[in-house]
Amino acid sequence: MSGQGNFDGADEYTVEVADPLLMETLHRLFTQTCSHEVIQAAETAGWADTIWEPLAGTGAPWVGVDEAVGGSGGSLVDAVGVLKLAGRYTVPLPVAETGLLGGWLAGAAGLALPEGPLTVVPGRPQDRLTLDGDTLSGVAQRVPWAAKATYILAIVGDEIIAVQPGADGVDIETVRNLAGEPRETVRFERAPLAHRATAPAGVDAAALRRRGALCRSAQIAGACERIAELTVEYAGQRSQFGQKINRFQAVAAHLVRLSSEATLIGMALDATTYAIGQGDAAFEIASLKSIAGDSGSDVIARAHQVHGAIGMTREFVLHHLSRRVMSWREEFGSTSWWREELGRMVGGVGADALWPLISEGSASLQR
Amino acid sequence: MAVAQSSARIGASKGFTYTTFTAAEEALKQEVREFLRAELPTGSYRPCLGMSADHDGEFTKKMAARGWVGMSVPTRYGGPARSAVDRFIVVEEMLKAGAPIGAHWVADRQSAPTIMRFGTDEQREKFLPAIARGEMWFSIGMSEPDAGSDLAAVRTTATRTDGGWLLNGTKIWTSNAMQNHWFIVLCRTSPNEGDRHEGLSQFLVELHGTPGLQINPIAFLDGTYHFNEVVMTDVFVPDEQVLGEIGRGWSQVNSELAYERAGPDRFLSVYSTFEQLLREKLAEGELDARSYDAFGRITARYWALRNLSFSISRTIDQGGAPAVEASIVKDLGTSFEQEMIALLHDLWDDEEPSQEAATLGNRLLAACILTGPSFTIRGGTNEILRTVANKGLAAWHGVSR
Ligand SMILES: Cc1cc2nc3c(=O)[nH]c(=O)nc-3n(C[C@H](O)[C@H](O)[C@H](O)COP(=O)(O)OP(=O)(O)OC[C@H]3O[C@@H](n4cnc5c(N)ncnc54)[C@H](O)[C@@H]3O)c2cc1C
Repeated sequence: MSGQGNFDGADEYTVEVADPLLMETLHRLFTQTCSHEVIQAAETAGWADTIWEPLAGTGAPWVGVDEAVGGSGGSLVDAVGVLKLAGRYTVPLPVAETGLLGGWLAGAAGLALPEGPLTVVPGRPQDRLTLDGDTLSGVAQRVPWAAKATYILAIVGDEIIAVQPGADGVDIETVRNLAGEPRETVRFERAPLAHRATAPAGVDAAALRRRGALCRSAQIAGACERIAELTVEYAGQRSQFGQKINRFQAVAAHLVRLSSEATLIGMALDATTYAIGQGDAAFEIASLKSIAGDSGSDVIARAHQVHGAIGMTREFVLHHLSRRVMSWREEFGSTSWWREELGRMVGGVGADALWPLISEGSASLQR
Repeated sequence: MAVAQSSARIGASKGFTYTTFTAAEEALKQEVREFLRAELPTGSYRPCLGMSADHDGEFTKKMAARGWVGMSVPTRYGGPARSAVDRFIVVEEMLKAGAPIGAHWVADRQSAPTIMRFGTDEQREKFLPAIARGEMWFSIGMSEPDAGSDLAAVRTTATRTDGGWLLNGTKIWTSNAMQNHWFIVLCRTSPNEGDRHEGLSQFLVELHGTPGLQINPIAFLDGTYHFNEVVMTDVFVPDEQVLGEIGRGWSQVNSELAYERAGPDRFLSVYSTFEQLLREKLAEGELDARSYDAFGRITARYWALRNLSFSISRTIDQGGAPAVEASIVKDLGTSFEQEMIALLHDLWDDEEPSQEAATLGNRLLAACILTGPSFTIRGGTNEILRTVANKGLAAWHGVSR
């Protein structure tokens, strides 16, 4: 099936969208399992079995990972759709880490996927990891849900390695991001490797960072979409001065603008996902993550302003979303890091190639 | 594999569907690029700033020879009958290059589709082929001294007379009235009482050689001349020049305004300046982190905005009426370009902008600084657009209101 446009039918365009059945299923599952109370409790516990069990049952965390290596199959578009929904419902679990990040690394290293969750070492500039025989030493920071993962995967030099968090010589210090999600400091002291393999071409620290940026952007897109809905709805219910606050122009301007910025992130995500399907997408990913950060920041600032004091409480749902956007925008490269990275790409291609870059993306660099 | 246009769109970006070019559209883009390389090689001319472009009848006729003027006009009226996406392609490539498209701009964007939609067959025969040949140029006759955002407050009247109407009143901000041939005038045909949106009508009026019609120039703040006041005193307009239905002017004018809002003209006024400044800055050598940061922000936003605007063209071709989306693109696009002028200015603060500066980039930046404030005013102010969009927002998000 292809798009039908107002052209002669001589040729057509086709843009894949996420599998509607999978999206419906997860929509329903998350609506049932991700209640305000469960998300709140997960913040204290650092985990939520009542979500993970049914979610793992659907195979969704492994969508986008090849069936041949033990994943659920499905396309990257499907996997991004899963993450966008996970962001929308503030799923307090390592969905990205288990599939598109950890599953990808495990597959590349020939490590059979375990049943449980996975995590990856994002690779912070301060991290120092060294291999010594078949052991790992050093410190890795901001590792998501390290204590809960079956394996912690990392790229060290030109190798992909896996360590079990419970192994000898692994010490995990609880650190959390602004949303209360575990982002732990892991110290390795001659910790035994569960697996090691030379990284295949295309799998390196930069590629991991790009994937991480894509994942966090998808989650931000989902969260911002929901924030926009919540805020527009709230402004149609709350009254002051005898009228609904959405009747005030100053409030209306916030509502329109935050809806616009949320939409801009969604469009950037769709365009990037498409580009990845076509080949290299370094330009799109850099653009996407910087837009997710800049526009996401605008969305949460305006949403909080429209909500007034109630939005500043733990009782109201907004904080689950806004604190995640505050956190995710920093991860796998901050907004300004990606802006600068993108700026360097622009400087690299030069003025004459700028418009092809903007209008055709990474594809323009492959000619 | 599921594809776009399937009905379940959960997880897709609301109201906007990402789209790509077909092979035929891709070929059109290449054709436009080749045309521009031949007609306007980089460095051979001073790029214009988006749609407030130079008025160059010869350039317009060359474009018309390619079928790129009056693009929506059906073949039976001498037009190329191109889709909204095809027009998007031509327009974005022209604006990107800063091409002198001022002569046919309004006729192509809004007058031709309005005449096609509301005009009589005689009017279509008379105007549309000439527009598509690039020979007939239009202005917009909406604003008045006391009717800006509040367009229904227009006071120009049209009163019945033998075989036609007598027009009295003053239109203002009429861009390029001194060079264009016709304008579509919004008038009151019955008194402003009760529902003020009733009793308005549109007329096709020739700008030159019409007795009782006088064009007075108004200097623009940068010293250029395109603004005018058009004073009409007992101007006779025959019945054949009534556009659409008497009394239906309000809904007609709103449909005309919709053509104005979502196109690439709403985010491609500063692009050619950015490209030129980048060219000059790179020639100077290594850039600092601050410059890269600004270039990154600007480039990312151009890319995403362009995809939004492109998606609207596709939706229009599929029969959609993306009103909220159009307001979103205009609001985001115009405010972004204003912000961008400030960003670029910050990077070039070692050299004060001047229209007489030695470098082209600096001269263009000076022009952007001077004219930038108009981006969020022309075509309906952003305040008004946001108010309009807000009304449809709850339904757009699918939440209760
Ligand atoms: C470069 C340029 C070219 C133009 N070309 C043409 C042309 O060819 N033909 C033509 O007919 N017109 C033209 N216009 C006029 C344009 O359509 C009007 O300027 C515009 O509709 C605003 O009207 P105004 O200037 O009278 O401002 P006003 O309506 O007086 O507005 C002044 C300020 O008040 C705000 N405001 C007004 N009402 C409200 C409200 N209800 N809520 C919130 N804020 C409000 C506005 O947003 C604005 O900030 C042009 C304008 C420009 C700048």
